[in-house]
Amino acid sequence: MKYISQIYNIALRELDILRKNRIYGFCMLIFPALLVVFFTTMLDDGVALDLPVGVVDQDNSAMSRGLTRNLDAMQSSRVVYRFANVTEARNAMQEGKVYAYLLIPEGTAAKLMAGRQPKISYYYTMTCMTAGSMAMKDMKTIGSLGSAAVGQSTLSAKGASKEQIRTALQPVTVDAHMIANPEGSYNYSLTTVFVPGILMLFMALLSAYALGTEMKFGTGKEWLAMADGNILVAIIGKYIVHALVFLLVLFLYEYYIFEVLHFPRLGGTWSIVRLTLLHVSAGLGFGIFAFGLMPSLRMSMSISSLWQVLGISMCGSAFPVPAMDSALRSMSWLFPMRHYWMLYQATVLNGFPVIEVWFHFVALIAFTLLPWFVLRKVKNAMLNYVYIP
Amino acid sequence: MSIFHKLREHFTDVLYIFRKELLQVVKDEGVLMFLVVVPLGYPLLYSWIYNNESMHETPVVVVDQSHTALSRQFINDCDASPDVHIKYHAADLDEARSLVSRQLVRGIYLIPTDFADCVNRGEQAHVSVYCDMAMMLAYKAIYQTAMVEAGRMSAGLNLKKSTTYTKREAAITAQPLAVDDVAMYNPSGGYGSCVLPAVLMLILQQALALGIGMAAGTARERHRNGQLIPDDDPHFNGAYRIVWGKALCYGMMGALAAAYLSMAVPAMFSFPQLGTGWTLFWMLLPYTMACIFFGMTVSCLVRYRENVMLLMVFVSVPLLFMTGVSWPQSSIPGAWQGVSWLFPSTFGVRAFLRVNSMGASVSQVLPEIRILWIQAAVYLGMACLVYRHQFRLRKKYANN
Repeated sequence: MKYISQIYNIALRELDILRKNRIYGFCMLIFPALLVVFFTTMLDDGVALDLPVGVVDQDNSAMSRGLTRNLDAMQSSRVVYRFANVTEARNAMQEGKVYAYLLIPEGTAAKLMAGRQPKISYYYTMTCMTAGSMAMKDMKTIGSLGSAAVGQSTLSAKGASKEQIRTALQPVTVDAHMIANPEGSYNYSLTTVFVPGILMLFMALLSAYALGTEMKFGTGKEWLAMADGNILVAIIGKYIVHALVFLLVLFLYEYYIFEVLHFPRLGGTWSIVRLTLLHVSAGLGFGIFAFGLMPSLRMSMSISSLWQVLGISMCGSAFPVPAMDSALRSMSWLFPMRHYWMLYQATVLNGFPVIEVWFHFVALIAFTLLPWFVLRKVKNAMLNYVYIP
Repeated sequence: MSIFHKLREHFTDVLYIFRKELLQVVKDEGVLMFLVVVPLGYPLLYSWIYNNESMHETPVVVVDQSHTALSRQFINDCDASPDVHIKYHAADLDEARSLVSRQLVRGIYLIPTDFADCVNRGEQAHVSVYCDMAMMLAYKAIYQTAMVEAGRMSAGLNLKKSTTYTKREAAITAQPLAVDDVAMYNPSGGYGSCVLPAVLMLILQQALALGIGMAAGTARERHRNGQLIPDDDPHFNGAYRIVWGKALCYGMMGALAAAYLSMAVPAMFSFPQLGTGWTLFWMLLPYTMACIFFGMTVSCLVRYRENVMLLMVFVSVPLLFMTGVSWPQSSIPGAWQGVSWLFPSTFGVRAFLRVNSMGASVSQVLPEIRILWIQAAVYLGMACLVYRHQFRLRKKYANN
């Protein structure tokens, strides 16, 4: 009972701190809201639409104009330039005006009629991979449609049925089932990594900041006195408020993406709640641990931010962890964000049972318990250290 | 005092402030971390992470319900491709799904019972591909490999059935219009070669802004009224000399960092490097200057040294997005395009990417270079204004 009232009092004190220091308001409420708005509006289309591409039409035939029109009508491409030659087109690419261009050499239509297999080429830049691969996909389709059109007219002239034509052109086909993201939307795959990733960064930064400012403004002794010198009670009282605020923010974010924007997921509500609880506790635990390792405001914050920013890359959503060097594969275990993402994609996105990724589940609990090792050091820092700017 | 004396005094003050700022930077471990350790170490870490460029041998499970020579040929072809590795054979879809859930494979190839029958009957045969969409790179590897192998198998089957006289005739019937696929500037589609140049330039801006902001925060915290300019130093006599003195100090560090990031790091990890030294110079000169004055302007907003860290760390990922390297520039909504104009990194990254990875010349990145000069000038003006204000504050306090 004594502990509970102590925790309650410390929590009230912390609430007061959060209200008075504007930094908390910004980092806990305003920045996360801005982030959600930023990513969801930025990636609203899901896939890149109407990328600027160019055409070098040296043939100037009805057929080449038809190809150009088809390309323009594709989902991801918009023909914005017609170049006289390849040099002009390459210059435009280097100037960043087009992501790709299609070259239709002189005599293409004539050779096609004569059955001499003319060759058209498409060039695309892979310096922006999303744009390059989308433009490539469209141009590839244009090329095979060009071939198919010829085959189709030959076959239908010979009296083949539609079905026969389809089979003759492509006897073996592939149907793709894109589980839990049928549109291949980048919004679904990027927003759900970057927003939680940056929020975890803020959790770690702010929990280190909260301890560091106690030291900086010399209020640490007062804080410990409220818990009768029991550091565990002091920590719980302090961070229960942080945890509640971050939980609220995360639940609002999850409500927004899953219920308002209808992001696909196969996992149930419980899988989201479980993940969110672990997300917050591991994030706070990491920050307290960082401060305990280096009881200095700036060092603990620098370590937290540098580590957690790396975590966004090391979680393996963009560049997969199995493709990294073996040393990095092992190191990925040291990033809470990696475990968060593994749990997210397995339990929330794909709806698999948590037991399949239990190791990551345990790892997040371990991050929550990390401060245990530095409790005494934190207490010592509060009592004896002096802040030097 | 003659003009000559005035100038001389001005330059002495500038150099004095330069020296003082440099000493402060070297003594302060927080600032040193962001101005030296981060630009030196962080790029190496990122390069290491992305060094393997692409995903090969993505593990896939096959459910072969056809059990024919044709289905086995398809499986072998996929397994032999560079991007897919057939790791397991499963009896049915449920078993395959459980392999996906255990994170052992990233996708399923299902070959239905009537696969070979359809081909032999002259109907269209289907292969179903089920992809775990958590990783876009894995999805692309699995799906594209299946597409390529299905296409190859189709062509082979057509060739067998064809009634043409020569092989050439058969080839023309199969593909009347040949298509050449040319990927440029990053032909293997490597992830690192694509993202890293942008990350390098962003690190330059973030490190400078963080370092400058932290140094300014420390200056304010040391000051009894929380101002930027120390009271007791006669050399801090005028806003312009303070701005120039500090700019000299950070310019020196920025120049070193820029040279290291733009030339040494890509060379160490053999990322594409098509830009010539002078082109890089003409692009990096305004970029570094814009970053320094941007950092000095931002540093004036900071009351405490930690705040700049919270702010700059928060914007770093959105800034990378607004450069157009991971999400195409043409698809960025207008409002965010507008916001992106505030930051030097937007144009610095775009210019560097095109110079370094695409071999653009100075004239081809002229629009970006122009904007960077404008940004440098505007932020210089703002930094001067802020320091003038601080200077007046100091005078006011001194008179009181």
